[in-house]
Amino acid sequence: MDQLGMALALLGAALAALMAGIGSAIGVGMAGQAAAGVVTEDPGKFSKVLILQLLPGTQGIYGFLIAFLTLLQIGVIGGGDVQVSATKGLLYLLACLPIALVGLWSAIRQAKAAVSCIGLIAKRPDQLGKAIILPAMVETYAILALLVSILAVFGITPLAL
Amino acid sequence: MAIVRMQRIRVCGLRRQRKRILELLQRRGVVEIDEPDREEEGFERADVSAQRSSLERELKLAQEAVQLLQEAVPEKKGLLSSLEGRRALTEQELEDFRAQSTKTAALAKRVLAAAREREEVRTALTRLDTEAESLAPWAALDVPLRPKGTKSSWVFIGTLPGAWTQTALEARAEPIPLSAEIVSASDEQTCVFVLCLRRDREAAEQFLRSLGFAAPAAAGKTPPAERRAAIEKEREALHSRADKALRELETLAEHRGDLQLLADSLTMRIEKYHMIDRLQQSKHTFVFSGFVPAAAAQPLCGELEACGAAAELSEPEETDTVPVLLKNNRFAEPVETVLESYSMPGKGEIDPTPVMAIFYYVLFGMMLSDAAYGLIMIIACGLCLLKFKGMEPGMRRSLRMFFFCGISTTFWGFLYGSFFGDVVSAFSKTFLGNEVVLGPLWFAPVDDPMRMLLFSMLVGIIQIFTGLALCAYQLIRQKRIKDMIYDVVFWYLLVGGLIFALLSSDIFAQISKSDKLPGIVGAIGGVCAAIGAVGILLTGGRESKNPVKRLLKGAYALYNVTGYLGDILSYSRLLALGLATGVIAEVINSMAVMIGGGVVGFIAFVIIFVFGHTVNIGINLLGAYVHTNRLQFVEFFGKFYSGDGRKFTPFADHTKYFKIREEK
Repeated sequence: MDQLGMALALLGAALAALMAGIGSAIGVGMAGQAAAGVVTEDPGKFSKVLILQLLPGTQGIYGFLIAFLTLLQIGVIGGGDVQVSATKGLLYLLACLPIALVGLWSAIRQAKAAVSCIGLIAKRPDQLGKAIILPAMVETYAILALLVSILAVFGITPLAL
Repeated sequence: MAIVRMQRIRVCGLRRQRKRILELLQRRGVVEIDEPDREEEGFERADVSAQRSSLERELKLAQEAVQLLQEAVPEKKGLLSSLEGRRALTEQELEDFRAQSTKTAALAKRVLAAAREREEVRTALTRLDTEAESLAPWAALDVPLRPKGTKSSWVFIGTLPGAWTQTALEARAEPIPLSAEIVSASDEQTCVFVLCLRRDREAAEQFLRSLGFAAPAAAGKTPPAERRAAIEKEREALHSRADKALRELETLAEHRGDLQLLADSLTMRIEKYHMIDRLQQSKHTFVFSGFVPAAAAQPLCGELEACGAAAELSEPEETDTVPVLLKNNRFAEPVETVLESYSMPGKGEIDPTPVMAIFYYVLFGMMLSDAAYGLIMIIACGLCLLKFKGMEPGMRRSLRMFFFCGISTTFWGFLYGSFFGDVVSAFSKTFLGNEVVLGPLWFAPVDDPMRMLLFSMLVGIIQIFTGLALCAYQLIRQKRIKDMIYDVVFWYLLVGGLIFALLSSDIFAQISKSDKLPGIVGAIGGVCAAIGAVGILLTGGRESKNPVKRLLKGAYALYNVTGYLGDILSYSRLLALGLATGVIAEVINSMAVMIGGGVVGFIAFVIIFVFGHTVNIGINLLGAYVHTNRLQFVEFFGKFYSGDGRKFTPFADHTKYFKIREEK
């Protein structure tokens, strides 16, 4: 069972990449469908709706970021003889949870706002600034979760557990 | 700097000079008409809707012609052609064009006719294709598909389901004597020609029906073989018709500019008719009033008087809703776009653009925070700005904004030691053998995230306090000193006091691993915070007369301190997004050097490096833009700016393809 810590940490990294990635995939997909509808009517709005479609995509990147940082800390990437105790592994798993869960949920919620704003762009293309801001509000919470995960992952590494 | 002073202008002119005066106003584009939607006594409003809708029909025609021409003969455009802006045209050229605009209208009709011709050919071709397809199995048949038979014989032509051979069919037909000929056969169906005696006709028909015989869908008097040849000929004729129409469109494409100018010229005329609608007119005169920027007012009056109109200037009244026009220097002007996408400043508010510009560039740079990305922005925007002189003002402003953001990004990138992430050390380690590290000029956020978090919040506190200061300035300008003390000074005391109290506490020292401030500072901070809190509790609900209600409202206002906490914490996104750029860049670099040294490794490095960093720039540019805007709109504007103003929209040329140059 001496590898338990490594397994737990890896589970955390996988969850971060998995759940945030799933959330963004769903979100970008939803927004993409709505965007395609607008482009059918007016291909000139492509660049505007593309920006809105991309907004729910950041959660996946945040999840990937945390996963990568965790892999780096436990020596899966970059090598190095790193010993991960069971406690430390569990801590890494917990540190990954904020971005995993909030990433999944906020991406979907942000996508709903983005879909509505794509509708807004279809009718009032001049209001792009406002249309971007509304879904971006949702992202705040993904950013906060990312922050907690980053601080936690960095904070765990020097602990002697 | 700031909001342009507006004056009200009243103009009275003779009707026979109406056209000249209106065209002058339209060309100058400095007057926004503000005329009540009713008729003044002794005046009436002209009804020009008939002329307008006829112009609108013509405009639709011209626009359609331009669009159809674009579809048939696309204009060759470069990748960056949208930066070139509208072509310039002198007033004289416009006049010359207008003199012969009927000729261009005829061109538009020719474009539409040619496009319609191509459409018709396309439909006809589809129809022929369907027919040819249905005739294909009958290609070998040299009699018509609906034969009548002769005096003593009868013929059936049609399809049977499944594959049949001649002998199988004839054997199956026993005892009815018939002669079958297979025209074509496939697994699904067999096309047959069956000959029998006229007297056996009914029996044969019954027999064939029992096998699922069906008459062919395509039927005609000409034999299929002949018909197919005819179709081929028709098709050729159609193709040559389409070619001719396309050639016609190609010749017409030379006049594309004329057609676009026709559309623009009609747009201008329609706009003028909208304006005529709003004039107050008597039998020989017309009057209107509007707003004009003070700087442009005097010269305009001179020009109007030269046209024989009387113009009078006055200051706007208290009750007027004056439209807002902003004017800023070259550094602040670009972020006007951001302000506009929020809202224009309302009555009594200042133009926050100059202050916002500084924060905007700084915050953007902190979020993107990569020197190389910043340099790419500087070079790309700088080159476009230099190369395309005729660029539209809106586009120019945006590019200039990203140019300044790029400078800030480069600055922060070097402070944090990020140049394409850590490409210098990654590359030198893998390909040159010894690691060269491009160290940060200040500190690397990845190594010390706590320090970066505190710094982010410090930036936040500075911006929020600046917002409060602007609020104070606005209140002082409106001579509401008491409100200023209640709404600004008390909050300064409370929030500022709390911050100093926190800075001198043990918890802070523990988190930041730095020395805490001496206890006396904390005590003073605590006292200040207490004064502020009591002040807000007593004055927060001052609009209520009832003392109990007032105190409760004050308590609610005090609760808003959590809002300040949230606002300051919100600036932690500076850390998060800054880290995201840097760490993703490092991830890309470590993937790029995974193959290792050597030529193959180098090629893989270049491919992954270019692709990865292109994606990273795109994503983080979008992120930095969106979140910088958000910090301005929510955290900064929330403190002092409501922005319920209306943008100045003068009567002018709003054209799509050409702009009319002033003649000096």
